[in-house]
Amino acid sequence: MSGVSATVEAPAVHPSQLKVDDVHVSFGGVHALNGVTFRADAGSIVGLIGANGSGKTTTLDVVSGLVKPASGHVWLDGIELGEYLPEERLGVGMVRSFQDCRLFPELSVLDVLLLSEDACHEVAVLSTTLRLPWARRAERRKLEAVDQVIAAFGLERFRHHRTAELSTGTRRVVDLASIVLARPRLLLLDEPTAGIAQREAEAFIPLLRRIHEVADTTIVLVEHDVPLVFELCSTVVVMELGRVVAAGPPDQVRADPTALAAYLGASDEALMASGPLGEGGRDRTGRSEGV
Amino acid sequence: MLAFSAPNFVLVQGVFYGLGYGLLALGLVLVYRTNRVLNFAQGQIGVIAAVFLLKLAADFKFNYWFALVLSVSLAAFVAALSELVLRRLFTRPRVLVMVATIGLSYVLLALASLPFIRASNTSRPEPVPFDLSFHLGPFIITPTEVLTLIVAPIVTLALVLAVRLTPWGLSMRAMSENADSARLSGVWIRRTSTLTWTVAGVLSAFTAILNAPNQTSALTQALSPDLLLYALAAALIGAMVNLTVAFVAGVGLGVFLELLQWNVPSPAKQQLIIFIVVMGVLLIRVRALRKGVRTGDRSTWQHGAATTVRATADLLRRRVSVAGVGLVVGAAVLLPFVLSVGNDVLMSQICIYAVVALSLTMLTGWAGQVSLGQFGLVAVGALVAVHLGTSVPLPLVMLYGGAVTAVVAILVGLPALRMPGLFLAVTTLAFAIFMQNAVLATPCITIPGIDKTLCTGLPNPAYTVVARPSLFGLSLASQRSFAWFALAVLVLSVLMLRVWRDKGVARRLVAVRDNELGAAAMGIPVLRTKLLAFALSGFVAGYAGVCFAFATQQLNNTDLTFDPTTSFVIISMVVIGGLGSISGAILGAVYLEGLPAIFGSNQTIQFITSGLGLIAFILYLPGGLGELLHRLGDVVTVGVRALLHRDATDAAGPAVGAAAPMSPPALATDGAER
Repeated sequence: MSGVSATVEAPAVHPSQLKVDDVHVSFGGVHALNGVTFRADAGSIVGLIGANGSGKTTTLDVVSGLVKPASGHVWLDGIELGEYLPEERLGVGMVRSFQDCRLFPELSVLDVLLLSEDACHEVAVLSTTLRLPWARRAERRKLEAVDQVIAAFGLERFRHHRTAELSTGTRRVVDLASIVLARPRLLLLDEPTAGIAQREAEAFIPLLRRIHEVADTTIVLVEHDVPLVFELCSTVVVMELGRVVAAGPPDQVRADPTALAAYLGASDEALMASGPLGEGGRDRTGRSEGV
Repeated sequence: MLAFSAPNFVLVQGVFYGLGYGLLALGLVLVYRTNRVLNFAQGQIGVIAAVFLLKLAADFKFNYWFALVLSVSLAAFVAALSELVLRRLFTRPRVLVMVATIGLSYVLLALASLPFIRASNTSRPEPVPFDLSFHLGPFIITPTEVLTLIVAPIVTLALVLAVRLTPWGLSMRAMSENADSARLSGVWIRRTSTLTWTVAGVLSAFTAILNAPNQTSALTQALSPDLLLYALAAALIGAMVNLTVAFVAGVGLGVFLELLQWNVPSPAKQQLIIFIVVMGVLLIRVRALRKGVRTGDRSTWQHGAATTVRATADLLRRRVSVAGVGLVVGAAVLLPFVLSVGNDVLMSQICIYAVVALSLTMLTGWAGQVSLGQFGLVAVGALVAVHLGTSVPLPLVMLYGGAVTAVVAILVGLPALRMPGLFLAVTTLAFAIFMQNAVLATPCITIPGIDKTLCTGLPNPAYTVVARPSLFGLSLASQRSFAWFALAVLVLSVLMLRVWRDKGVARRLVAVRDNELGAAAMGIPVLRTKLLAFALSGFVAGYAGVCFAFATQQLNNTDLTFDPTTSFVIISMVVIGGLGSISGAILGAVYLEGLPAIFGSNQTIQFITSGLGLIAFILYLPGGLGELLHRLGDVVTVGVRALLHRDATDAAGPAVGAAAPMSPPALATDGAER
């Protein structure tokens, strides 16, 4: 718990540095992760790629605390996160989006965004019930912050729509908006473009860049859209069967024959053409991923 | 602590009862496995067969075996018919289907009392095919018991083999694993489902026919909450999947209960032990239960309805709502002036029931936790009122009662933190039975070990008078003034719930219900939020209980007031009002409490109207009465707008505010920011 108070004293303004060190995870007899080690420098964008079942989503699960590793460590700015519950990791500036992007089907867009404000500024139930002045003020402040984000992301006309009514693309935008509200220092994105069309996926690149700049955060993303990863990321990590087989800047990885064999399996030309490979390479079933 | 010993015939008696629980549990497991439906009418379907068998054998002098075949076929037919009616609900939230089966059991209860099914003289004993009995010690093992001991294991064995070996069994197992895949591989899931219900109906018929000779009246047995609890507990021990385990668990429970009765003289202690054992067994089995339950199950159980008011950005629409609420409240305030004393009592009662329904709206509608024991919490509040009485100012009694009940509700809710939604239904049911039979019934208990007496129950369980306090010097003695008081409590409760709904509490509860992982990742404390739901719900139910005690002025544990079936009525109110809707819960209370008063004392008509009403509401009005009210508001708004518009064009100006679009813009994929 000492780690929490330390970060409270130093306000979270700078992006975090993430270190994943020799993490092992097994489900039953299956070794999902077999000594995964990589680093995300402060302010970088790191892309995890690899075939289905190579352990990308499990890696994110370990970092966000949903899966407890059998051995190994996750360090965030020199803090060991082993004992942190998923809920507590928000306190150190870690925010995660999910692959299925379910959000909360019955909540309106406004409520979803207010919810991420709730998590940052909790107001006691009693003072809410009695409508005490500070509870009113807090609610008003939250509403203002949310209004700004709604305007910035162009979600105005979906304000009162239930999340279940939204298309996948819009839901992802809502998800990203709620992430910006949480003021992350480390942002974990699980397939931000899963289930949306190629053209819209391309539109995500500038959006993610903007979030990276505005929120001033480190981003780790799992993605099947290889061209997107190579264009966006400063570091690419290639995984195979629960191991990291290659890591480095995009150009270096692109030149690495092991990496090509592990995941890309295609020629360099196909890699550069964003069309066919991007379509075919994207994982549409998604569910069994990482287990 | 307990040394159990008993003569052989007690064991035989236990096995005999246990076979009944086991058979009932088999039916529950079958239907649950196939449709993910917890069928509350499972026992009641068979009662029809038992009653009809008596009619055929006693009134028409039919041959026993012929009559048996006819009456079992009747139960099978009724079961298949029920499946056909309820089928379209199977994809909807599980709570809805569960309440629909409660409605179904009311209808079946009424059917069983119709003259062409019921024998002219029901006090005659249920017929048996042979007269085979023998002595065991000083007691006689009756022919029915002999019959049960033979038939029940054979039926079970046949069922287990059928599930393993027949095409129906294969289809059923495939369907219970993954209905969609089964369908695509050529399984006719509808036919399978109907067949499963038919088989469950036959099982139910055997249960009732074998058990009937022991019941004083065959009509009352099937809805009996303890019978349901034991069968459910047995089914849960089988993880709602395993037929053999469920059956054996049922027999075990039967033996255990008989041993308990033989060895523990005090009924209250028996109840306490039963409660602890049921909870303990469920907690021990929780791993298997979690494994047996598919991940999707949890969400369908917990699926509720929208809590937020639909976007009422339209000013005129909001004004219509405000005017409507104002009118209703105004009328309600004036109502006690014109009502008779009896109707004043009814009005207080409806208001208090509405507050209880509101407490459940929060828990089930928002937080997605199904409670079948809400009236157990009301009983806690009522006990606080009994013990504090008039010594403390009324508002303080209410706050204190609310606080105590909130703590109890948290304790009752603790298992829910680890168990999927369905299992809370069982533990809360056990809690309600425990409250009625143990806590209310025992004036004082001596805590073993420290030799202290704790008086928490009703001082006189058969008849405890509760004196009504005054409120800030205003007398509440007359029924009319109490009706106003109850109305005020209701209005304040509604205001409080509205704050919770709109200002941040509800959205946290709904978020945790809809997506636990997502909420945790967002930084919402999941455990605390779940417990918050129980605490708030318990608080509201608790002060409603205080009001309830002061309203009735006398309490006992014997009549139906604190019977667990009252809790079924409460959850029915919440469901027909529309899950999660505040106005709906109130309308539900008015409907279910007011309607019986209109139809007077004829029970058959009451049961049919409320039962059919429940099913019809759930089938044809998915949003409940609250939705209906909302639509009414829309219609009125359109009318008012037309009027305003005409006036405005008459005045040669463009209609102000009337141009607000009613329908939302079409959805588009792009978020417009790119």
